[in-house]
Amino acid sequence: MYNPFSLQGKTVLVTGASSGIGQQIAISVTKMGAKVVITARNKERLLATYEQLVAEGHQWVLADLAKEEEIKNLVNAVPKLDGVVHSAGIIQPFPIKFLKKKNFEPIQSINYNAILLLTAALLSNKKINRQASFVFLSSIASQYPYKGAATYASTKAAIEAFAKVLAVEHSSKGIRSNCLSPGMVKTAMYEQTEQAVGAKKMSAYIEQYPLGVGTPEDIANATIFLLSDASKWINGITIRLDGGLLAGMH
Amino acid sequence: MQLTELVQKIAEEFEDTPKEQITAITKLKDLEEWSSMHALIIIALIDNHYDIILTGEEMIDAQTPTDIYNIILQKQANK
Repeated sequence: MYNPFSLQGKTVLVTGASSGIGQQIAISVTKMGAKVVITARNKERLLATYEQLVAEGHQWVLADLAKEEEIKNLVNAVPKLDGVVHSAGIIQPFPIKFLKKKNFEPIQSINYNAILLLTAALLSNKKINRQASFVFLSSIASQYPYKGAATYASTKAAIEAFAKVLAVEHSSKGIRSNCLSPGMVKTAMYEQTEQAVGAKKMSAYIEQYPLGVGTPEDIANATIFLLSDASKWINGITIRLDGGLLAGMH
Repeated sequence: MQLTELVQKIAEEFEDTPKEQITAITKLKDLEEWSSMHALIIIALIDNHYDIILTGEEMIDAQTPTDIYNIILQKQANK
């Protein structure tokens, strides 16, 4: 059957695979035929993801990407890759005038530093095949932020720029690098945000989405596209996934 | 931590409201100056000064500085 979105024969690393969007991406790409290496900090939850992967030959590696040593171990453990999906990310609203290193460093460390260090280590250890595809999870907050998002939104904006630099530096080998920029998706992070802002405010926000709140599957499907050869002419872009939220006035 | 100290810190975050108008039993959300930003500010203030993280739901339920004070005490006791 004609299927340009097939991931058969590809090996893909997925970070943040123990929950939410990362977990769904890991499961979905195995449904499309890829072998995956999944990584996260929490063993119990990572194994729960592993159990849901389709077919055989997958691998899981525990790693706290805030620690350079653990990034090194992860890179040593992975085979040569045809795709890397960076989904690991954390969120903690904080108004600018109260920002202190202790509030923003943990977020920077996972949302930004880890991506740079892991990408550098994968490339320098020759773990990235020709024609490989990098997919980074940004957020609509990078372009359309909300109050309290200083660290989260700015790390995501930084990653969008980083992804373009990666695209520019490695396109001669057919290596591609793109971002996905989702709006509100129903995950544990959604629950966390709901807790932070209150249920009433959250539902008022969700009402603004013409196509409703997103699902992890919506993001996983776009990831499949960017990992597959169907997108082989797409490099250095950010795809916004927001149920039409930012299309115009509603 | 003293309640008066907390009231004072919260009052400092309302720039357009006279300090004496904010007491331990003031319903903060009834203040004309109240905005969604103040909820974030109070959460951050408490995190920075008392190392306690209030959730948004707790901030919604809390009406007065005394309510907030009691949540902090309870969370400190459970630490």
